[in-house]
Amino acid sequence: MFSKLFPKRLPSTWRLGLLLTVLITCSTGLCITVAGWAMRRNLSSIARAVVLDDLGEYAVLYNRNGLREITEVFAAGGHEESQAVRITSAEGRAIFEQVPEAVGGYDWPDHAPVKMKPSETMLVTIQHSTRDQHLLAGCQVLDDGNVLWFGRTDAEDIAYVDHIRSQLWLAGLASTAFMLLPLWWFVRHVLNPVNELMNSARTLAQGRTDERLIAPHAVPELQAFAAAFNAGLDRIDALTSELQSANDNLAHELRTPLARIRGNLEIFHDHSENAQARDAAARGMEEIDRAADLVQTILTTRAGEHQALKLHLEPCDLRELLAQLHDLYQAAADERGLRFDLEAPFPQPALIDRQRINQAIANLLDNAFAYTPGRGRVTLALERRGGQIRILVKDDGPGLSDSDFQAVWRRYTRGSAATANTPGMGLGLSLVRALIHAHGGQTGCRNREEGGAEFWIDLPVGEAKSR
Amino acid sequence: MLFSTMHLLLVEDDSELARQTGLWLREAGHSCAWREKGGAALVALGTENFDAVILDVGLPDMDGFTVVEQMRVRGFTLPVLFLTARDNVTDRVRGLKAGGDDYVTKPFAVEELMARLEALQRRAIGGVQPAVNRHLGRWTLDPVKRRLHADGETVELSPREWTLLEVLWANEGRTLTKKFLLEKVWDIQFDPGTNVVDAMICRLRRKIDAPGGPSHLQTVRGKGYVLQAVS
Repeated sequence: MFSKLFPKRLPSTWRLGLLLTVLITCSTGLCITVAGWAMRRNLSSIARAVVLDDLGEYAVLYNRNGLREITEVFAAGGHEESQAVRITSAEGRAIFEQVPEAVGGYDWPDHAPVKMKPSETMLVTIQHSTRDQHLLAGCQVLDDGNVLWFGRTDAEDIAYVDHIRSQLWLAGLASTAFMLLPLWWFVRHVLNPVNELMNSARTLAQGRTDERLIAPHAVPELQAFAAAFNAGLDRIDALTSELQSANDNLAHELRTPLARIRGNLEIFHDHSENAQARDAAARGMEEIDRAADLVQTILTTRAGEHQALKLHLEPCDLRELLAQLHDLYQAAADERGLRFDLEAPFPQPALIDRQRINQAIANLLDNAFAYTPGRGRVTLALERRGGQIRILVKDDGPGLSDSDFQAVWRRYTRGSAATANTPGMGLGLSLVRALIHAHGGQTGCRNREEGGAEFWIDLPVGEAKSR
Repeated sequence: MLFSTMHLLLVEDDSELARQTGLWLREAGHSCAWREKGGAALVALGTENFDAVILDVGLPDMDGFTVVEQMRVRGFTLPVLFLTARDNVTDRVRGLKAGGDDYVTKPFAVEELMARLEALQRRAIGGVQPAVNRHLGRWTLDPVKRRLHADGETVELSPREWTLLEVLWANEGRTLTKKFLLEKVWDIQFDPGTNVVDAMICRLRRKIDAPGGPSHLQTVRGKGYVLQAVS
């Protein structure tokens, strides 16, 4: 319910903090309002009692000994500064006035508001002429027909209530601070661990399997979650290293016999004088080299697809890497009559396995060269896209059919434009994808509006770490 | 040529590969002793003097990396060339860190093995080729300006063409595989597909050969390319 009140990207810490502050402020305000109202009510009834009481006392004194007694009382001192006494004649002329400065500024009435009998009392409230203060005044008709006024200002009461109110606000602030303690706990033991777990999970998503979820300060539930998650990762890790060693063994089992056959063919080739026999041996050696490359490609793809590829990460400049590849393919492009351009306008440092990335781009170039007709154009480009780097290979070939877009990245799948003469077994792009996924990157392709296809590699820059 | 014959220690558990390699080494004029296990190889090193070791990574008793580490701990400084079925940079780096000097992946061509062995020997004895007065047929090579001169004619080579020529030149008369050239000239350890090496060799050939005449740079089917000066 409350979450709708906050902007979407506001972190939970701030949401919770704001919510708590608003709630505490509202409840403190409410307490103070109610308490203030009750105090004012209390104080005003006390004030009425005081006024009536003192009015009665002064009336008794006057009725007993006349004005002299009242004068003596005031001469003796000790009169409160917030109280005033007046005696007026029946015509409204002031006979006696004892009005301290604090009680000044009130416009006393000359007569009682209604016709009163002797010893009858009445209360009136008089507004201060300039300030937001009131004088509660009581009047009583004395035995000789004069009128006794006794007034008391509420200035002190207001000051008292204001004082109490400020104390209550202070208490509210202090309690707000205390209420933030649970917030601190929540941040330290729930929110921060959740963020740490999220960061670890992000690293895992980039293909690092040695990372584990760690949350030492987390609540037990989160720790249990991390432990369960880590157990799963341990299992994946075990499977990965099993796959790695299986790959190594398989490579050994397949490459060693190929090496034996190749060795014998080479001996045969070098010792035979018969041209046909030499040619046959040469063809055999070519086939063996192809088979060895194929074994390596399949094993690398398999390892890459299962996050079991050992990467040798090193810092290098992608522009330089592309320039070297451009240089490597230039002669072949010239031979085919292709225009081969390099568009890498900026240096781009990256932490990558240079050979693997080279191999991925070389495969894309190999594809582009195979499918682009003579006088066509192939472009190798480097672009920046947000936090990612995109390496593009654009060609002038026949492009991709609708069914190609996903299929071409699968193993043993060849694009619809492939002919019997197009080299390859449909492993190149699956190898590219596996190599790039191992780097935490992505691959993609599309048809260009101006014709031809565009393949790209997106690499996160500098985030992957050495495995 | 600068190279003398070498006495080599071959450590390989596959007897057929060992037999072939031994044959090649002897044909090239070298002598060799063969051991099947790492432990036996370490013992042999203590009893005989070798010029270099050819060492398989996958041995039955310990892997080749460990053998090299033990060798280096025991004070043997002779060059080591790894033979391996594992083709990845991580293993390559591990092998070199362990104290190995170079690396050949199976299946390999005999000429590649020889080229690498001789490069190791050259490095071990500190031999350098004279930089002046190099000739290729009618051409005089100018390594400083990276160009060729003959009878007032000058041919400029691109840096990469020059490197290619130098690698071929250093192994004159030896057929070098595409794989070896890719590694030495472009530092690439995989097959880049498209006939990039072939195209580059053709370009170099057009620059150094006389039109219509015999070529200095031959392609040997199934094996690779060989530089052989023709007059």
